[in-house]
Amino acid sequence: MNPAFPHRQSAHCESGVAANLFTFHGVPVSEAMVFGIGGGLFFAHFPFLRINGFPLTTFRAAPGRILRRAAKRLGIDIRFRTFRDADEGMAELDRNLEKSTPVGAQTGVYWLPYFPPALRFHFNAHNLVVVGKEGDSYRISDPVFPEPVSCRADDLARARFARGKLAPRGKIYFVRNVPAKIDPAPAVTAAIREVCFLMTRLPIPLIGVRGIRYLAGQVASWPSRLGRQGALPHLANLIRMQEEIGTGGGGFRFIYAAFLQEAAAVLEDDRLLGISREMTAIGDRWRDFAAAGASRCKGRDDGNGDFESLARIVRECADREHALFRELGSLVRGGRHAGGK
Amino acid sequence: MLDPLEKELADMIMEICRFQSPPPPELSPDAALIGPDSPFGLDSLDAVEIVVAVQRKFNVRIDSQETSRRVLQSLRTLAGFIRSRRERPAG
Repeated sequence: MNPAFPHRQSAHCESGVAANLFTFHGVPVSEAMVFGIGGGLFFAHFPFLRINGFPLTTFRAAPGRILRRAAKRLGIDIRFRTFRDADEGMAELDRNLEKSTPVGAQTGVYWLPYFPPALRFHFNAHNLVVVGKEGDSYRISDPVFPEPVSCRADDLARARFARGKLAPRGKIYFVRNVPAKIDPAPAVTAAIREVCFLMTRLPIPLIGVRGIRYLAGQVASWPSRLGRQGALPHLANLIRMQEEIGTGGGGFRFIYAAFLQEAAAVLEDDRLLGISREMTAIGDRWRDFAAAGASRCKGRDDGNGDFESLARIVRECADREHALFRELGSLVRGGRHAGGK
Repeated sequence: MLDPLEKELADMIMEICRFQSPPPPELSPDAALIGPDSPFGLDSLDAVEIVVAVQRKFNVRIDSQETSRRVLQSLRTLAGFIRSRRERPAG
C-alpha cells in the first residue's frame, strides 16, 4: 500500500474518494468542498422512472458528475477508463499501482466481501480507491470504512464488472496532472451559481424546488392513489433515499451546509455563514419529515404523520430552499464574486 | 449494567418505539442497537427517529450516515457520542 495515501472516512463515497485523491496529489480539500465544487446538491423526483418498483427521487447530482465537475473546476486532469474485458481492466489497474498511482474505481457493493452482509445491496456506483497490491489482495481505501481494507483480486474484479443498472464496466480513474497553483474561489463561485440555477430556474416541474413541491403533492396523494398498503412502502423508500443512501443526512443538505461554511472562508464573505446555518436548519426539517414519516410507517404516530402533514413539511422545505437559493444566487452574481465559469 | 445516560437512552428508545415493557434489567450497553442482532429489534426507519429524538433531547446532531452507523452501534457508543459532543467547546 502507498503509505502516503490519506485515507479519511466520509459520508458520501464519490465526494470522499475525490477528496482523498485530490489531497494525495497535493490539493488538500474536504469531502464537503468537493461535494460543493462538484455542484453536488440537487433535487429531482421522477414518478415514471422506477427503481425496485419505486419512483426515483434523488437529492444529489448524477453519479460521476460530482467528481468530473470538481476536477474540471479545479483544473485537475483526471483520466477515466472503462473496459470490455475484465482481465485487461485488472491489468491496467496493476500497471498504475506499479507506478504507485492510487486508482479510483467504480464498483458494485454487493460483491465487496469486506462489507458486512447486512450492508450489501445491489448498488453499482460505489466508489473506492485502490492504493496497493500485496500478493493476490488489493489494499483499498473505501471511504465508507474507518480504516483501509483488503480485497482479493477475483472479488474486486467481480465488483468492478458487476452487471445491472449503473454497471461500472470496470471503470477506473486516476489523476494525471495537477496545476501548480489552484485558486478555489472561482470554482466555488461557479459551482454555487450552477446549483442555484438548477434548483430555482430550470423550467422543469420535476427538478429543483419545483420538483420538491411536486413531490409534496405526490406524498399527499399517495394514500388515495395507492391505498395504505401502497403508500407506506413508497414513503419508507423515500425516507431511505433521503437519510440512508450515503447522503450525510437530510438529503445531502448537511454536507452542502458544511461546504457553504468553508466557502465563506474561501470567498471571505461571512454572509455565507448565515446561509449555511439556514441550510442546516432546512436539513433538520427534511429530517423531521423523515422521522414523522418513519413513525407513520411504523404505525405509531400521534396524528402528526398523516400524509398531508408530511406533505406540508416538504412544501416548507421547498419554500425555504427557494428563498435560500435565490439569496445565494444573488450573492454570487453580485460584483464581489462575479468570477468563475 | 447501564450507566444513567445509557438507561435514559434505553428508556427514550422504548418510548419512541412504543415498547410496553421496560428495558430488560440484564440489557448490555454493548448489545447491538440496530439490525437483526438488536434486542430492541430496531431497523433503519427506527434509527431515523432515534437520530431526531437525540438531537431534540440532547441538542447534538448526528449528521452523517457513517457517523450514524458508528454512533448507533450500541447504547454505549450512543452515550459516548453524546458525552463527547457535550464536552466539545462551542465555536
